[in-house]
Amino acid sequence: MNNLWLLNMGFVALLVGTGLYCLLSMRNTVKLLIGIEIIAKGVTLALISSGYARNRILLAQCLAITVIVVDVAVIATALAIIININRHTKSLDVRKLTRLKG
Amino acid sequence: MIFLFIIVPLLLASLLPLLGKISKRFLPDLLASATMLFLLVLSVLWAKPLIASGGVIQQAFWFGAPLNIRLLLDGFSLFMLFTISLISFAVTLYSINYMEHYGAKANYYALLLVMIAGMNGLVLCSDLFNIYLFLEVAAVASYALVAFGQGPDELEASFKYLMLSAVASAFILLSIAIIFGLTGGVSFGTVAQGLTTLNIKYVVGFCSALFLAGFGLKAAIVPFHSWLPDAHPSAPAPISAMLSGVLIKVSGVYAMMRVFLNVFGMTPALTTVLTVLGVVSIFVGALAALGQNDIKRMLAYSSISQIGYVVLGFGIGTPLGIIGGLFHLFNHALFKSLLFLNAGAVEQSTGTRSLDKMGGLAKRMPLTAATSAVGSLAIAGIPPLNGFWSKLLIIIALVQAKMYVLAVLAVLGSVVTLWYYLVLQHQAFFGKLNENWQAVREAPFWMSAATVLLALLCIVTGLVFPFVIHSWLQPAADVLGKGITVAMNFIGF
Amino acid sequence: MHLFLMIGLVAFSILAVLSRDLLRSAISLAVASVFLALIFFRMNAVYAGVFEVSVVAGLITVLFITAIALTRSEGGVTESKRHLFIFPLFFAALAVIDLLVMKKLLGRIPAMVSSESGTFGQVLWNQRTFDLVGQIGVIFAGVLAVLALFRPGRSHTGDAPLAGGQSDAKGDHHE
Repeated sequence: MNNLWLLNMGFVALLVGTGLYCLLSMRNTVKLLIGIEIIAKGVTLALISSGYARNRILLAQCLAITVIVVDVAVIATALAIIININRHTKSLDVRKLTRLKG
Repeated sequence: MIFLFIIVPLLLASLLPLLGKISKRFLPDLLASATMLFLLVLSVLWAKPLIASGGVIQQAFWFGAPLNIRLLLDGFSLFMLFTISLISFAVTLYSINYMEHYGAKANYYALLLVMIAGMNGLVLCSDLFNIYLFLEVAAVASYALVAFGQGPDELEASFKYLMLSAVASAFILLSIAIIFGLTGGVSFGTVAQGLTTLNIKYVVGFCSALFLAGFGLKAAIVPFHSWLPDAHPSAPAPISAMLSGVLIKVSGVYAMMRVFLNVFGMTPALTTVLTVLGVVSIFVGALAALGQNDIKRMLAYSSISQIGYVVLGFGIGTPLGIIGGLFHLFNHALFKSLLFLNAGAVEQSTGTRSLDKMGGLAKRMPLTAATSAVGSLAIAGIPPLNGFWSKLLIIIALVQAKMYVLAVLAVLGSVVTLWYYLVLQHQAFFGKLNENWQAVREAPFWMSAATVLLALLCIVTGLVFPFVIHSWLQPAADVLGKGITVAMNFIGF
Repeated sequence: MHLFLMIGLVAFSILAVLSRDLLRSAISLAVASVFLALIFFRMNAVYAGVFEVSVVAGLITVLFITAIALTRSEGGVTESKRHLFIFPLFFAALAVIDLLVMKKLLGRIPAMVSSESGTFGQVLWNQRTFDLVGQIGVIFAGVLAVLALFRPGRSHTGDAPLAGGQSDAKGDHHE
């Protein structure tokens, strides 16, 4: 059981790493949000697999559902901000967001 | 009922958008201010006697039927509740005038109330996962509040803040998931007990590192500070005051200390890391603030610097250090909010935030200049104002713990702080009156009332600090000093 | 089977990152969600699986596609092709480090099996009631945020000169 937990955590690490790569190197703001989504998937997988390994799958499901609800709120707010930015700068490019400096 | 701290703001937040259609200004102002006053009185008069004999766990009721919510109130939680209520009351008063030209006041108050409900929930919970959840509630509300003006600067600042904050929250949650996998539970008691019987240092160390990165970013500790100088200046002034004065402390410092001291237990490695990061933050913040032209950006870098002092105080680990850290946390909430509110008043009157263009405003805005002077002197550590005592406590604690180099560095940091605040005061308020500002008027009534209140508190806290320490800080420090035993008491819970 | 689902999940996530068309990214993300939901089903987390499919693969994908459609008319931003070369290197390094760390921890995690009683409904409503309060709070925050950000109005920028110290002729207050 614990080795299965370790295997799942290995895959979680891969997902989180992929998400971080997306955040660090992509230029499109919507792509950045997709990176955050991927990290959220990884963390949800970590929660459920931890619950499975410790025989507390019901608690883990409650936690995972709450995490998904929080994720929706964050993504909705982020998309609202991105759409508003697009109205001003007419582009989705992160490199164009350089007004604040210093 | 402790549950009121969370449920009253949430209820009002749900009603405000509807009420806002009926009465756009008067009713939202009145209700929001009344609620904040109610919470403040509640925390002082009613909740304080509850903890006279140590921490309390209270069950929440909903119209007589018991809910399965057990809230933890101990010295540290109460201290944070008091700080949150005080600053939010002042900010709400200030917003009555300031938010006029943003429009949609009901929506603004609703978001502010949700943020406060989130912060109150964070300090009252006894469960690792609830810390993450209420952290996110306050954070989502703050993303919207930073972007409230819908201008390009604010949207960009809010976007960067959101990205970094979401990554930090993901790290925190990942750490919680790993701990759940190791110990089989997420409440403080289960985790504390599980961790003492475990023997894998590296994995627990990795979790601590994730927590440090996550909460450190929320608290804007170097090297995770880069979002703060963009987010805090662009937000509307009362929101800058809330963010700098309360949010970074509750979601960053409180959460980090609660987890590290009461659940994990302080290790020498943590002590070293926290003290080093604290000192580095002091210097990076102070040196960057020196070169700033934008008044709010200077204040934002100063926040990074002062949070460094707080973390340094906690990092020392001795009782005196913890008291110093807590006292500085409270003081910084007072004077940084005061300074941000004043900067907002100046910005509203003159239309600019750059120090070059200001000058001699004291002649036209005497009250703002006076309260700003009190705030600047307090934060620079001039006796007998409150900042002096808290910094002194931290420095004495450093000397007692034989960290002489850090003590010298802390004193140097204080000198630099004094320097740039003198620059700020001189450039903005004193000196020759710039011709552009001949027709400038003093800030409106509620804005001045809020800043005068905060300035008076700075002075009073400085004068009666032994009382403050004995009655508010000591219970909080005791809780932190007891370490893991606090969490162990909640097993089977 | 478990391994196949995991590899599918990671593969479609990588596809979502590397894909140059935004719509394809969003669809790959949705497919990855379906794989994740299947993994949840296999681990007896039925409710989480259903939630994952309906909310993440459904609602969030719809939100993404709406945002992509709303921001489409202006020119898109395409990523550079070099990511197709850099990412495999990065991923290979990550996988190697991952494997080494997991190998080292093999067998060192002590077994601590807890017992659990009750049904899912009981656990959610009785034990995690505080979570539900938090969920309500975060939903309020999200709804209010979207309302605040999409309200019709003027923008307030920091440095617009407002001489005379009065709050502005810039807007129309119908209050």
